[in-house]
Amino acid sequence: MSATPTSAPHHLTYDTTAAWLSRFATTAESVEPELTALDQRAGDGDFGTNLAGGMAGVRRALDALSDAPPAGRDSPAVPLATAARVFLDDVGGTSGPLFGLLLQELATAVATNPATAGTRELAAGTAAGAAAIQRVGEAEVGDKTLVDALVPAALALAECAPDTEPGQSLHQAAAAAHEGARATTDLRARRGRASYTGDHARGVPDPGAMAIALLFASYDDALSSLHQLP
Amino acid sequence: MPRYFADSAESIVADALAGFASAHADLVSHHPDHGYLRTRNRSPERRVGLVSGGGSGHEPLHAGFIGAGMLDAACPGRIFASPHNRQIFEASRAVAGPGGVLHIVKNYTGDRINFGIAAERLAHEQIPCARVLVDDDLATDSEDIVVGRRGTGATLIVEKILGAAADEGRGLDELAALGAEVARRSRSLAVASAAHTTPGTGGRAFELPDDVLEFGVGIHGERAEGTTPVMPLGQLVRTMTTRLLAALPDTPRPRVLALVNGLGATTSLELYGIHHALTAALDDTGVALDRSLTGTLVSALDMRGFSLSLLATDDELLRLWDAPARTPAWPL
Repeated sequence: MSATPTSAPHHLTYDTTAAWLSRFATTAESVEPELTALDQRAGDGDFGTNLAGGMAGVRRALDALSDAPPAGRDSPAVPLATAARVFLDDVGGTSGPLFGLLLQELATAVATNPATAGTRELAAGTAAGAAAIQRVGEAEVGDKTLVDALVPAALALAECAPDTEPGQSLHQAAAAAHEGARATTDLRARRGRASYTGDHARGVPDPGAMAIALLFASYDDALSSLHQLP
Repeated sequence: MPRYFADSAESIVADALAGFASAHADLVSHHPDHGYLRTRNRSPERRVGLVSGGGSGHEPLHAGFIGAGMLDAACPGRIFASPHNRQIFEASRAVAGPGGVLHIVKNYTGDRINFGIAAERLAHEQIPCARVLVDDDLATDSEDIVVGRRGTGATLIVEKILGAAADEGRGLDELAALGAEVARRSRSLAVASAAHTTPGTGGRAFELPDDVLEFGVGIHGERAEGTTPVMPLGQLVRTMTTRLLAALPDTPRPRVLALVNGLGATTSLELYGIHHALTAALDDTGVALDRSLTGTLVSALDMRGFSLSLLATDDELLRLWDAPARTPAWPL
């Protein structure tokens, strides 16, 4: 995105990952009606609510963290691990906890190298998250699930040079995820709730895949807003 | 909800869990924060914790089989709904032995996913975890069914045999392999003359004319692929038995362990009559009935129906089946 600030940070920090998730919470809230409408046409209608509710929980957990001693806020993995726990523990349905697995793998990858975590760790975490979600849900690309957005995102991150600035690589990942999510529109679902609705799901993009694209896209927006701070 | 003795569809599971915990306080403890029940007694030899669970409405499965010689913990979901991964994760963490934890999972998409997410979380904490998938329902044995056969009555057989094996101190891989073998050697088939009452609506899950049976019914009110006219019980049981025997793997000597299981509203009087018919059907085919168990053990709320499960057995499986168990509902 051309709006990427020239002074973009080269590594992830606590502040950037917290802002990323906070921005995604805002996005999830604002697109909840659209995601719910998609899921009502093709699934069981609870995805938008679960995602927005989960991210509201993440925002509350991050707010609580901001009052914690600085020692608890020294790693970019902390906001990701916090979000993972909220999604795994407190979100119902199926897609929400699967989202939690992605966040858990991102947190783990970032935690291996917290001082210099960047594109290399994001690529490793996204690939591990996609693998975990596929182990659990047994979906392949083309089954019309969030895997259709996540696998292209992981591939896009892997293709970036390891020292690419994270905003740039996540931007690439968002574009690839968005393309994958759009491509689910004409598919017939083979996994997930939408698989029971047969051709009713045709013409409707998978809401889980859309949400994955929005997650990666939120980093760009978060950086912009961080840089607009006084 | 006029037909059940419960205040509401919302409270029926929670009230039952609280009651179960107090009725069997000597055997199990209830952990309402994380939504699981666990045993108070466990063989000191046991190195691997056994965890099962699934939707409520199948009582006494699974909570009734927590205890020495069987499960270490059970995770009840809402009526016919998978437990949350957090329940499974917390229960597994609580009962994992030095050899880890084994999940016994009925083959349903929600159960597979939630146990799978819990397994990923356990891996993150370096707790070894493996899964036995029970998929014994012959009625769903079709290439058109991508998700595979459903898991039903044989789950109890797997839980009993693995419980005994776990008490011998066997490791995770060995138990997982044994569980897969028991599942491979087990098939079940169910019929119903009336559907269960859906708690939310108070009505029957589906309607059947008086003169037909739902043949191959599921345990959640899933209708069967077809119905069959009411026929003499001996003929019905023989038809079911023949199909089950044909689906079992070949063994050197044809011998089986049988579970005659009520689906909730079938009386003991009827179940023993069914057992009598089963004995005759096996006699006709020259198959030895090594052991059997009759009762309402894997139910489907108040469905008027029964299931037959057969396990192609051998001396080692029988030895494990015969090992003592002490749980709220194990009848032997």
